[in-house]
Amino acid sequence: MSGANRIAQRIPRGESSFVESEVEKKPKLFDGSIVSGLREAVQFISNILESSTEYSIIGNDLEGTILLWNEGARRLYGYAPEEVVGKANSSMLHTPEDVRAGKPQQLMEMALREGKWEGTINGLRKNGDKFTARVVLTPRRDAAGKPVGFLLISKDISDEMQAESEIRKLNEELEQRVAQRTAELEAANKELEAFTYSVAHDLRAPLRHVDGFSKLLQEEHGQELSAGAQEYVSTIRESVLQMGALIDHLLNLTRVGRKELNVQVTGLNSLVEEVVADLRRANPNRDIEWKIQTLPFIECDPALMKQVFVNLLSNAVKFTRPRSPAVIEVGACREDHHPVVYVRDNGVGFSMKYVDKLFGVFQRLHRAEDFEGTGVGLATVQRIIRKHGGRIWAEGELDQGATFHFTIGSHDKGPVNPLSSGGNR
Amino acid sequence: MTTGDVEILLVEDSAKDAKLTLHALRQEKLANSIEVVEDGEEALDFLSCRGRFSGRTFKQQPRLVLLDLKLPKVDGLEVLRIAKSDPRTKAIPIVVLTASKEEKDLVESYRLGVNAYIQKPVEFESFRHAIKQLGLFWLVVNQPPPNSAFQP
Repeated sequence: MSGANRIAQRIPRGESSFVESEVEKKPKLFDGSIVSGLREAVQFISNILESSTEYSIIGNDLEGTILLWNEGARRLYGYAPEEVVGKANSSMLHTPEDVRAGKPQQLMEMALREGKWEGTINGLRKNGDKFTARVVLTPRRDAAGKPVGFLLISKDISDEMQAESEIRKLNEELEQRVAQRTAELEAANKELEAFTYSVAHDLRAPLRHVDGFSKLLQEEHGQELSAGAQEYVSTIRESVLQMGALIDHLLNLTRVGRKELNVQVTGLNSLVEEVVADLRRANPNRDIEWKIQTLPFIECDPALMKQVFVNLLSNAVKFTRPRSPAVIEVGACREDHHPVVYVRDNGVGFSMKYVDKLFGVFQRLHRAEDFEGTGVGLATVQRIIRKHGGRIWAEGELDQGATFHFTIGSHDKGPVNPLSSGGNR
Repeated sequence: MTTGDVEILLVEDSAKDAKLTLHALRQEKLANSIEVVEDGEEALDFLSCRGRFSGRTFKQQPRLVLLDLKLPKVDGLEVLRIAKSDPRTKAIPIVVLTASKEEKDLVESYRLGVNAYIQKPVEFESFRHAIKQLGLFWLVVNQPPPNSAFQP
């Protein structure tokens, strides 16, 4: 009741639309509501004002003298209505700094000019606390449209600001942590690079010396050596070459891991043809029947994809050595809308018992005396395929050939016989 | 021979590598006069005719520099950078002969103006073959830069 009274008291007659409509039977208060009389209208407005406890609603005149002060205003600014209504100026709701800078006056001028001002202000409570408020300031006008004062609706957003600043702080901390982790990763990567570099340089050098001087020993002092001694020297040189190849292949494996993909649409047929041409040249005495089907165009790094075919097809050539003719087939089918490429041979195959060793580094399923190799080739192939988001798997049977399948960029449904890891042939 | 007509400057810190390289060059009778220096600083002293090479003149530049990349004191890339940015040494053919096939070394060497880049093969036969080809090309096939090319 006190609210209704206060409002009725403080709004001068002739200033408010519902007061003027008092004479009508069913006065219209504003669009969409009908009240039956002044008393009801005042009650209506009073209810709105008093139930808006989260919003401070303040009315003043053009000089700033406070005329209206709701419950929300009391909660926000800390003054009881009787302390301020008719007595205080609304500029006291601003911080002294803003008052000195003339901000309350500027806001009122802007509201008059633009019809409304919205923004945040630095508010001041009765106890001296400062806070941030979001404010809508609108001019009040009389029946003739002449401005008579302002309506100031404000809400404390200090908590929101605090939350926002905490989120900002958390984000900054997060960014800092990410930066730190990135720096650590970069350092680790650098270390790894330095390591591979010194593997390349430092491990190869002594091998070169062993091979060089044993070769000179053979050439310049061969006649002084017994047949047995000469065989030892040959064995030394074979081992050196094997180790040299191992180092080179290992370096290549780490290089594949570090290399960034240079993805472009690539026709697999032309890649395969290049590789097959090289293999034909390198194996002129072999009887190999090449069956190259139509292969898809896929998005991949062509240089790396060529390495995949070099490794798979050289393997096929190697492991069909006892066959005449060797039959090597490269084809593609579709599985779940993704192309699956396969390389099939009629070579010595492998037992499915050891299929999980196939793609592991240094894993070999054959004696070095039968089939040379370093045990890094299929590990490199798998790394390249995985880098492309694809998967590779193999099927084989001892003495019945082998088939390697791979997909590129399909993370979804796995193939019939997926292998998570594996070894070498 | 520090003041005469040095044909090849071999910059190599490994005595064993130097021995194998010299063996290959001599076997092919490609160079009579080869100077071996063991670090980048000595290489720069040689090319810039200073230090223990102050008796040399810029008119007697070698026909070929074989440069290892991983060197004590001043590394090979730095030697390359300095030699290729000095007008008095810029025209000297420099061939990098290194164990590294790292892309960054290749890129940096070519950016700095290297004349050729060879990775030392582990297998001596291939190594000897590479040295032979290299010597043949730069000392026999190639027309060396005339003296006026070394004037600033």
